[in-house]
Amino acid sequence: MADMLEIDRLSFRYPEAPREAVSGFDLRIPQGEIVVLAGPSGCGKSTLLRTVNGLIPHMYSGDYAGDVRVGGASVKGSDMRDLSQKVGFLFQNPENQIFMFTVERDVAFGLENIGVPRDEMRERVDEALRLLGISDLAQRAPHELSDGQKQRVALAGVLAMKPSLVILDEPTSLLDPMTAGDLVALVAKLRKDLGTTFVVVEHRLDLLVKVADRLVVMSEGKKVLEGTPRDILFGDDAERYGVATPAVTQLQKMLARRGLATTGTLLTPGELAAELKGRNR
Amino acid sequence: MIEFQGVTFVHQNGVKALDGVTLKVEAGETVALVGENGAGKTTLVKHVTGLLKPTTGKVIVDGHDTKQTSTASLSRKVGVAFQNPDHQLFSESVEEEMSFALRNFGFSPELVRKRVDWGLGLFGLDEYRKSSPLVLSGGEKKRLTLACILAWDPDVVILDEPTVGQDSIQKEKLAGTIKMLRSAGKTVVVVSHDIEFLWPIQPRVVVMKSGRVVGDGPAALVMQDETLLASARVAQPQLVELYRGLSERPPGPFVDALDARRWFEERMKR
Amino acid sequence: MMWLSGGFVFRRGDSPYHRLDPRVKLLISALMFVSTLLVRSFYELLAVIAVMVAVAAVATVLKRVGRTMVLTATFSAFIFVINIVFTRNLESSVLYAVRFVAIVVSTSLFFITTSPDELEQVMKTFRLPRDVVFAFVTAVRFIPVMMLDTIQIMDAQKSRGLELEKGNIFRRVRNMIPVLIPLVVNSVVRSGELAEAMESRAYGAVPRPTSLVQYKSSVTDKVVALAALALFIAGAYSFYYILPVQLP
Ligand SMILES: Nc1ncnc2c1ncn2[C@@H]1O[C@H](COP(=O)(O)OP(=O)(O)OP(=O)(O)O)[C@@H](O)[C@H]1O
Ligand SMILES: Nc1ncnc2c1ncn2[C@@H]1O[C@H](COP(=O)(O)OP(=O)(O)OP(=O)(O)O)[C@@H](O)[C@H]1O
Ligand SMILES: [Mg+2]
Ligand SMILES: [Mg+2]
Repeated sequence: MADMLEIDRLSFRYPEAPREAVSGFDLRIPQGEIVVLAGPSGCGKSTLLRTVNGLIPHMYSGDYAGDVRVGGASVKGSDMRDLSQKVGFLFQNPENQIFMFTVERDVAFGLENIGVPRDEMRERVDEALRLLGISDLAQRAPHELSDGQKQRVALAGVLAMKPSLVILDEPTSLLDPMTAGDLVALVAKLRKDLGTTFVVVEHRLDLLVKVADRLVVMSEGKKVLEGTPRDILFGDDAERYGVATPAVTQLQKMLARRGLATTGTLLTPGELAAELKGRNR
Repeated sequence: MIEFQGVTFVHQNGVKALDGVTLKVEAGETVALVGENGAGKTTLVKHVTGLLKPTTGKVIVDGHDTKQTSTASLSRKVGVAFQNPDHQLFSESVEEEMSFALRNFGFSPELVRKRVDWGLGLFGLDEYRKSSPLVLSGGEKKRLTLACILAWDPDVVILDEPTVGQDSIQKEKLAGTIKMLRSAGKTVVVVSHDIEFLWPIQPRVVVMKSGRVVGDGPAALVMQDETLLASARVAQPQLVELYRGLSERPPGPFVDALDARRWFEERMKR
Repeated sequence: MMWLSGGFVFRRGDSPYHRLDPRVKLLISALMFVSTLLVRSFYELLAVIAVMVAVAAVATVLKRVGRTMVLTATFSAFIFVINIVFTRNLESSVLYAVRFVAIVVSTSLFFITTSPDELEQVMKTFRLPRDVVFAFVTAVRFIPVMMLDTIQIMDAQKSRGLELEKGNIFRRVRNMIPVLIPLVVNSVVRSGELAEAMESRAYGAVPRPTSLVQYKSSVTDKVVALAALALFIAGAYSFYYILPVQLP
């Protein structure tokens, strides 16, 4: 069976840009994986994501080479309308992706567009609102919300569609820490229950390393590192590309060099503490 | 320096965003404002320069009641960098953008040039001096807005979510800048959800929930108060969590990984 | 700007009038609008305005409507002057001037009590093409967003020492530049990102999209609609056949 997402030798240059924003990129993601995409600001992460749900090349002109396939079907040859039902896309800036006059109607927007019957839609909207903890905001106007509340509304709208591939561009940037943690748990749960595949761009790795199967690091449009979060964070190159090593992982690494900690897995703070306690006796 | 006296603020749609906030920030303090989405942090920040006026209560900044002072004159003392840089960039070039406020505040052309050079250098924006601010990447735009504010050397610097869209190298630089401001005696207020970013700065932490201040104290104390943090939906920094899990530990939590390593090595030697 | 936002921008309310089926609200506003055109004397017009005030009171928007009337009255003053100069007829000049205020208020009553989502519903019942409806409604929706943007931009620039209220007229106009440029840039960026977001959420995927909310006319809606029609017919009948007003 084809992988959920296949990217082959992809390059893209925006019109009149001096260089390619994405250049010779290869990636394969089997169904049900959670992949984190990291890399310095301006390295082409958002551009790469746009090629997955078809905004590039369908809404952007520019030099496009290579191929992207979602569930075996070429993005270039598919219609945006079909792609948007398979691929959910959360944009970096929540402000410009919510536009209906009440929160609940905004969450329903995608479902209305694909013709979901009213009763089922009601259920799915309510569920999405509940999952993101914004049921009490259902009747508010989206433009009268705080930044983090807007981000949650946008997320609810994407997840309500139950897409098989979900793309999240910095989904936790404006969320309070616990909501960010809840979101990561939700991602893990959707993967488990529905087999949803996730591609997540994130700078705050401390939250995601627990659930991610793979970490892909980009720099200047190219893929420079790929592997399990453990392998990459314990390797020597991650820092060079501006990938934030979480504080406990930094410590685990330092202590491991002196034989004070194991390196089999990335330990959570609690696990590392337990391990250090164990050694004490 | 900044004083909130029983401030309540109600939005036009009836949402009470601040509910009896009393808070005093002394000159030279570094304060982190944390709390759940919609707690009222941005609303609070907008009161400091009089962009919003309290529905009831009073805000006093450097001895002036914000109700009686214009935002422009308060801003000479208090620089605020808002979340969205696109709400303020308008000039033809980056250096023009930076001189805008300086000219408004009546700096001499010479001083303007000096301050602009200094700011561009500090934030690594020198190469963009002549480019339009609109073509910068999101992260660069954000840094430019910071440079714009620091250029006029306000006594108080307020940053609303400065780490959004910044990679780890930029974040580290930003933390460095905040520490530099602190040692220069500036008052700094940072609103942020990024606890891992705030922790090594060791600020005074003010916790907000539903428009109220529910916690206030040094980071080392507040960040160990699990019940308080959970009620305001704030997570514990990883190193505090680790520290709390140890049976034998130093008197205070580790500030960063290096600090922790030192302690563990010391203990090994014994 | 203030006239526009006060008189035509929806703000959430919770009166029985707000809860009416948007089509009924449209009917009531339309009837009031037509009435202002049908009346032939100042006194009849006053009667129609009295009805508008009553509706505004039920909708708890008296203050806003009052302010709109006052602001509109300044335009009306022009109409009055022009009329009096050309026709030299006091009564008809007053009628024209006040009629203008009444027309604005009848329209305003509809817009300030009908949310963009309801507006969409109304336009759909007229079977207008979906793209037209969507474009129109999106434009209406973005008025409050743009106003908020303007406030945030002004906030940011005031925080950089910009004094909007100072200086002579030329200085003030020039001072608007730092506000206008980000506003335009933001609107352009916003519309681009909006188009991307819509495409990514399956806009236009099926020819007959469904809708989360259904506006079903309740018994109250029907009664109110019939009552409004009855009042209109009774009013028209009495003006034309019973009251001793000469036909022109
Ligand atoms: N619409 C566009 N037109 C032209 N150039 C663009 C466009 N969008 C992005 N670019 C350029 O392409 C490059 C990659 O941008 P992209 O937004 O993909 O980076 P990113 O990795 O998502 O950065 P960030 O972490 O700051 O969001 C940058 O040099 C950027 O300036
Ligand atoms: N323009 C507005 N009109 C009406 N209500 C608003 C407006 N802006 C914010 N609110 C409401 O006021 C409350 C406080 O919002 P505020 O933006 O201060 O929160 P915050 O603490 O900054 O949250 P976040 O962490 O999500 O940015 C929220 O309930 C929000 O929905
Ligand atoms: Mg990006
Ligand atoms: Mg905020």
